[in-house]
Order: sequence, then structure tokens, then C-alpha cells
Amino acid sequence: MRVTVERIEQDREEELIVHCYNPGAEWVSSVTEAASGQRMICGWREDTLHRLKLSEIFYFEVVDDRSFLYTQAAVFEAKEKLYEFERLCAGSALFRCSKSMILNAEKIDYVRPSLSGRFEAVLSNGEKVVVSRKYVADLKRMLGV
Amino acid sequence: MLMKNITLWVRRYVTVYGIIMLCTFFMCLLFNPTSELPVVSFFGRIMIFTLIALLSLAVYYSEEELTVKAWWVRTALHLLLLEAVLLPLAHSWGFWQSGNDILIYAGFILLAEALWHLADYSLNAKTAAQINERIRKNRLGKRA
Repeated sequence: MRVTVERIEQDREEELIVHCYNPGAEWVSSVTEAASGQRMICGWREDTLHRLKLSEIFYFEVVDDRSFLYTQAAVFEAKEKLYEFERLCAGSALFRCSKSMILNAEKIDYVRPSLSGRFEAVLSNGEKVVVSRKYVADLKRMLGV
Repeated sequence: MLMKNITLWVRRYVTVYGIIMLCTFFMCLLFNPTSELPVVSFFGRIMIFTLIALLSLAVYYSEEELTVKAWWVRTALHLLLLEAVLLPLAHSWGFWQSGNDILIYAGFILLAEALWHLADYSLNAKTAAQINERIRKNRLGKRA
């Protein structure tokens, strides 16, 4: 396989194009996942705008019509609606885990079932979030279970 | 998507049917071991029972995500609904007659509800184990 890396000027947007025989191949998923982790999103914290990599985000949550981004130890407010953020992180490790939350599968330490028919995901920073049964199939598909 | 939903509901129907049959077996074994049942009408009635039990799951329907508290409230409502519908129906079919029978029958409906949730929890535990195993493998793969 031929690999080409081209250096571009700062005014151009970085882009990855994969020419492949099988878009479902494992190496294609690995490349697109790695690239999507480099995608940036803006979040506000104490009147300061921060640029965050998608791979840094633990989860995105909508509370009372306001959107928040959660990283390892900080919370940022975002302008995106849930569906906008969902579109933005297509092809990445982030997936819809409930009606109001998008979770980064790479930040899950482990999951456990709860009596209420849902799942609890324990994240690598110790936080616990709920994964609805409806969206567990997406997580399984994403992990290749 | 439609096929997936149909499969899900057929699987639920079979599970509930199985639970009711299991409860019926133990109920007969403990309280009326010499009973003889008219096969066709009995199995037909159990099928209707199952359908009612599944329809009662509508109490869990919600536009919003259910909180754990809301889930417990609805589970209690679900149990009350089952008892309120199935007890008179079972009485009209002659499944129970006296005052003691109703307590035993109500107890078995409670047991069936508990078994349903236990079966559900077991399936979820299996799914969680599969996911955790995959997470573990992915992590090891990344480290290697």
C-alpha cells in the first residue's frame, strides 16, 4: 500500500482521504478513528474559549437545553445541540448512550448492569454514567462485540 | 429495524410464556399435584395470560429517560396492574376459588414478575461481560 503525507500551509484545513477497496476493513476504521480523535470542538469555561480534541472529551450532555462537554476533570459549555454534536463526532469513538448524552467509548473502564434494566458505565476518571439499553447495541457494534 | 423489533417481542413472549408455565408447574406440584388440565383450553388461556402480561409493559413507556426511582414506581404499578387484571381473569377461568387460593395466586404473580426481572438482569449481565471483555482486549491490544 502506498502512503502519502503532504505538508500543507496553516490556512488550509487538515484532511484525511482514504482510498481503499473495503471501507469496512479494520485498518480503515483504525485510521478514521485516529483522525477523528484529532477533530476539534470549542467549549467555554469561565468566559474563556477552549479548543478541545474529540479524543479528550469523556461525554457530551444536554441539561435544561444547555450543552456541556466533560473532560477528565473539567466541564465546558458548548454551543452545539445534541444532534449537531452527534453529527460532528460521526466515525469517532463517541456514541449516543441515552436521550441526552453522547459518550466516548474509549473512556469507559467497564460497564455493569443495573436492576432498572439499564447499564452503568464507569469511566476512567471514576465517573459513572447511564447507558440506556436502547443504545447498548451501538456500543457493542462500535467495540466489535 | 422492524424485524429486530419483532424478534425482540417474540423472544419476550416466549420468555414470559415460559415463566408462567414454570409458575403453573410449581403451583400445581405444591397445591394440587393430582390435577388434570384440559390441554387445548389451558394452553390457550396461558397464551392470553402472556399477551396481557406483555401489554402491561406499556406502563414503562416514557418519552423521557426513566430515573431509577421512576423505574421502581412503574415496577410497583406494573405489579399492581398484573394482579388487578390476572386475578379476576384467573378466577373466571376457575384457576382459583377460595380465599387462600387468591393469596397463593397473587404470590405466584409476584414470583413471575421477580423472575422476569431476574432473567432480564441476567441477560444484561451477560452483555456487560461481553463488552468488558472487549474493552479489556482493546486495551491490551493498544498497549502491545
